[in-house]
Amino acid sequence: MTKSWTHRRRFALGVVLATLLGVGIGAALLSRSLKQQGLSREGRTAVITLGALTEVVQQTGGQGDTLRAAIAEFAAAQERIRSIRVISLSGARLDASTAPEDAGEKAAPRRLAPDEKPLFDQGQRIRAAVQTNLDEGAARKEEIEIRPAVGGGLELAGPYELNGSMAGIVRIETVALPLPPRPNPLVATLLIVGTTILFILLSLGLGERPRRLAIVSGAIVLLAVAAYGRYAALRTSGEIRASEAAASARVSEDEAIASAVLEATGIAADLPLSADRWDTDIFRRSRTGSGDEAGSGAGRAAAEERVTRSQANAAGVITRTTIALGLLSVGLLLFVGLGVMGRGAAGFVRHRHAYAYALPALIGMLVLVFFPFFYGIALSFTGSTIYNSDKPITEIWTGLKNFTEILGNFQIAKQTAGGLVFDYQNFYWTLLFTVVWTISNVTIGVTIGLLLALILNTKGLALRPIYRVLLIFPWAMPNYITALIWKGMFHQQFGVANQLIQVFGGQPIAWFEKTGTAFVTVLATNGWLSFPFMMVISLGALQSIPSDLYEAARVDGATRWQQFRSVTLPSLKPALIPAIILSVIWTFNQFNVIYLVTGGEPAHSTELLITQAYKFAFEQYRYGYAAAYSTVIFLILLVYGIWQNKVTRATEGI
Amino acid sequence: MMRARWFRTASGVASALSAALFLALPAIVLAQTELVVWHAYRGDEKAAFEKVVAEYNAANAASGVKVATLAVPYDAFADKITAAVPRGKGPDIFIYAQDRLGGWVEAGNTIEPIDFYVDDVTKGRFLPTTMQAMTYKGQIFGLPLNYKVITMVYNKKLVASAPKTSGELVKLAKTLTDPAVGKFGLAYWYSNFYYHAPLMNAFGGGVFDVSGKPMLNAPANVQSLDLILKWANQDAILPAEPSTALVTSLFNDGKAAIVLSGPWFLGEIAKTIDYGLAPLPTIDEAGGKPMRPWMTVEGVYIAAASKSKEAAYEFVKYVTDLAAAKILAVEGRQTPAIKAVYDDPKVGQDPILKVFREQVENAVPMPNSVEMTMVWSPVSTAMNTIVQKSATPQAAMEAAQKEVVDAIGRLRKQ
Repeated sequence: MTKSWTHRRRFALGVVLATLLGVGIGAALLSRSLKQQGLSREGRTAVITLGALTEVVQQTGGQGDTLRAAIAEFAAAQERIRSIRVISLSGARLDASTAPEDAGEKAAPRRLAPDEKPLFDQGQRIRAAVQTNLDEGAARKEEIEIRPAVGGGLELAGPYELNGSMAGIVRIETVALPLPPRPNPLVATLLIVGTTILFILLSLGLGERPRRLAIVSGAIVLLAVAAYGRYAALRTSGEIRASEAAASARVSEDEAIASAVLEATGIAADLPLSADRWDTDIFRRSRTGSGDEAGSGAGRAAAEERVTRSQANAAGVITRTTIALGLLSVGLLLFVGLGVMGRGAAGFVRHRHAYAYALPALIGMLVLVFFPFFYGIALSFTGSTIYNSDKPITEIWTGLKNFTEILGNFQIAKQTAGGLVFDYQNFYWTLLFTVVWTISNVTIGVTIGLLLALILNTKGLALRPIYRVLLIFPWAMPNYITALIWKGMFHQQFGVANQLIQVFGGQPIAWFEKTGTAFVTVLATNGWLSFPFMMVISLGALQSIPSDLYEAARVDGATRWQQFRSVTLPSLKPALIPAIILSVIWTFNQFNVIYLVTGGEPAHSTELLITQAYKFAFEQYRYGYAAAYSTVIFLILLVYGIWQNKVTRATEGI
Repeated sequence: MMRARWFRTASGVASALSAALFLALPAIVLAQTELVVWHAYRGDEKAAFEKVVAEYNAANAASGVKVATLAVPYDAFADKITAAVPRGKGPDIFIYAQDRLGGWVEAGNTIEPIDFYVDDVTKGRFLPTTMQAMTYKGQIFGLPLNYKVITMVYNKKLVASAPKTSGELVKLAKTLTDPAVGKFGLAYWYSNFYYHAPLMNAFGGGVFDVSGKPMLNAPANVQSLDLILKWANQDAILPAEPSTALVTSLFNDGKAAIVLSGPWFLGEIAKTIDYGLAPLPTIDEAGGKPMRPWMTVEGVYIAAASKSKEAAYEFVKYVTDLAAAKILAVEGRQTPAIKAVYDDPKVGQDPILKVFREQVENAVPMPNSVEMTMVWSPVSTAMNTIVQKSATPQAAMEAAQKEVVDAIGRLRKQ
């Protein structure tokens, strides 16, 4: 089937598909970004109007007929406003409203009706946000809430203050602004068609030489994607400029309206309007810097600089996206052009029954394994915390920041006046501890397990089944019970360990005080938990060694040690090595023992990577950071697994 | 042919269905608002709570509101709420201690603020500190049901009258201590920050200042730790490496005369021990100020996902009101947050409940903010190093302070 396809045709198909992909995704992204630019412009101008209105509300004293008259005037003058409501928090009152539903019986002023609880709650939320930001000296909580309104446009609510403290909220509904025009579909179409024609023309001269075809087609596809990137950059920077212009136009428009309203309602503007503070973000931080010089020459220069800066930012994003899209497109091109796709499809068709049978399992894996797994990986690139877990992943994306923070901190110990001070929360300390922990545990487990197996394998041992059951016991008990019992045994005053030491005339030890002794306690606990598994495996393997091997060894005059080295150990290898691999992975992630026995004490020095990750997630609520930590653990185990796989294959070869 | 028969069958089924629907219709119209309440009670507490609910249902049968209870295991409770409610599932109402309140509010869409419903009369009927525990950043999120505080529990055989000051306490405890046979005058989990809090609060210390900034290294906190070291080392009236299990077994063996613990401890006391309760003593070293334990308050919250919040609030109001509180106190052995219930001699004269009521006058609600969860781990480390004398109180608390400030900073930065 693939034979009938010439290289040229395959590459031609590749060029069409790759350009379609690259330019198509580019167009979709551009369209979305223009829409967002439009929405953010709408939000920004609405915030300006809200700022103007808030100032009018504050100047009227926040209540009475003057307020209602001023509100009505303002709503009539600013055509972007659909309705205004002023709600005061004390007494949960609607002080003024121009909303059509608040007429007649429901006309302001009145107490909020039970079904208007969300309005009151919004006011409380904003008040708490203002207070929180003030206390923390940060901008974390939205002081102005912007939501899409039901009939198009936006719903905004922001605080107004009387006598220096927040008294209530001003809410407006706006009429939707027209969105900026969508990207011209002609550009994308022309690029796709043009690229295809160009390639066909060029390929006529190139003939059936796959390498040249690949280079030329790749260059053409990259060119097309880059050209679209250029178009996107032009459109975006134009829109950024338009947004800035719209904002400053809105400021002057609202300034005129506000002063007219104040004049009409008879509140002589003894306080000048502070129009330069209206253009803010949702944390009520001015976008125009100090604001004093707005409107003046310096202000215009600052605005110009702002435009340039956001244009540069946008250009950076577009460049990165274009490069990524280019790589993606060329990847697809080569996939199709070099015939990988054709072969893959043929294989799929040939084994379609097998795929059909595997489908239910595949779907199950997808939902239960791969989705959580990839979600975790995606989370590791975000700054997700309890404060922002409701936001979409794209908004809290931080790239590789978590990973550089985890892996880039090499300050394990610091030299101070009092000697070396370890930072036990450092990743490399925890990694070192985890590795030491794993190696020593597996060594102990294998040694004790093998020793006991050899003893149990003695011919003619009386009561062997009973010993075997007793020795498997530690394994059969739930390991958290075992862990808690061992923790009790290491109690300073009442634990068995110290009682024994005292019987022999020693001083009681505070086991959990020092890293070394704390390590001994967890080692003892986990050793106790892990030897039965090794013992069972070794015992099984020992019993399968044919006795004639030993007979032959004895005939050759081998000592018992020589028999053990040359017969027993090599025969145990195939059973022991997989057991050790498993045991390493279990021990590496042995959460229960550490968490229950030492809890990471003293000072997090006996923390494993996995318990540390748990603490980041559920004690510090840094979900993204904890996800990154877990991803690193996964990568370590992945590398270990690959390496171990190679070793195993080598042992199988023997 | 086939088609005709099919049609006949189909129309038959349809008419049967519509008849069934018609019969079912009145039931649907009358269908009640069902409110689901999640709680984590067992034993007597559960029985008492269910009795309260049954009485509410009987009284409100006419209005069509029916409350159903569901006991959710305590260990899984908070996680179930966190997972279910923001996705529109779970209960209408749930009962839990205030320590998770801040986390749920910050995560959003979990607890409904109820300022809008709560009037001053309702607010005024509770002990003010319990109401404070239900308030997060100035907003009320629940009504307090009951509170738990640490008091002094003493073995009546060993202690004739409970000491009132720390001087009396130490003097008495010294006579009752003999480390050689494992006898101690005083035993409590002093290396645990929660159990240390009464002493810390006596000195005017705390975890957060008024604006919510950590203040672990405040001088008052350090002073309180110096005092605990004095009790443990110089006066030697305390056992080393304390834990709840150790304290319980010492008290039950008659080897600890006085224990500082909360209501959860009472259930673990052996039948053979004749014990009494008394309020925590005043601290001479803190200028005679009383020890002030942290109070955990169980609140009744309305889930943000509830479809019938007003009906839910009516129930919340009922269950925290006087009639319910009497049942919960007498039969469920709870210490209700409503003041009036202690006027009832059955509650107010109860030798145990009376002491808890007295103690609550000198109790501080435990912080309910998210940041508090970040305090536990560093502060436990600090407490352990201090008790084991690997660091001075000042140095250990400075380290803990730094760790908490860093953790909070990192959490907020992202």
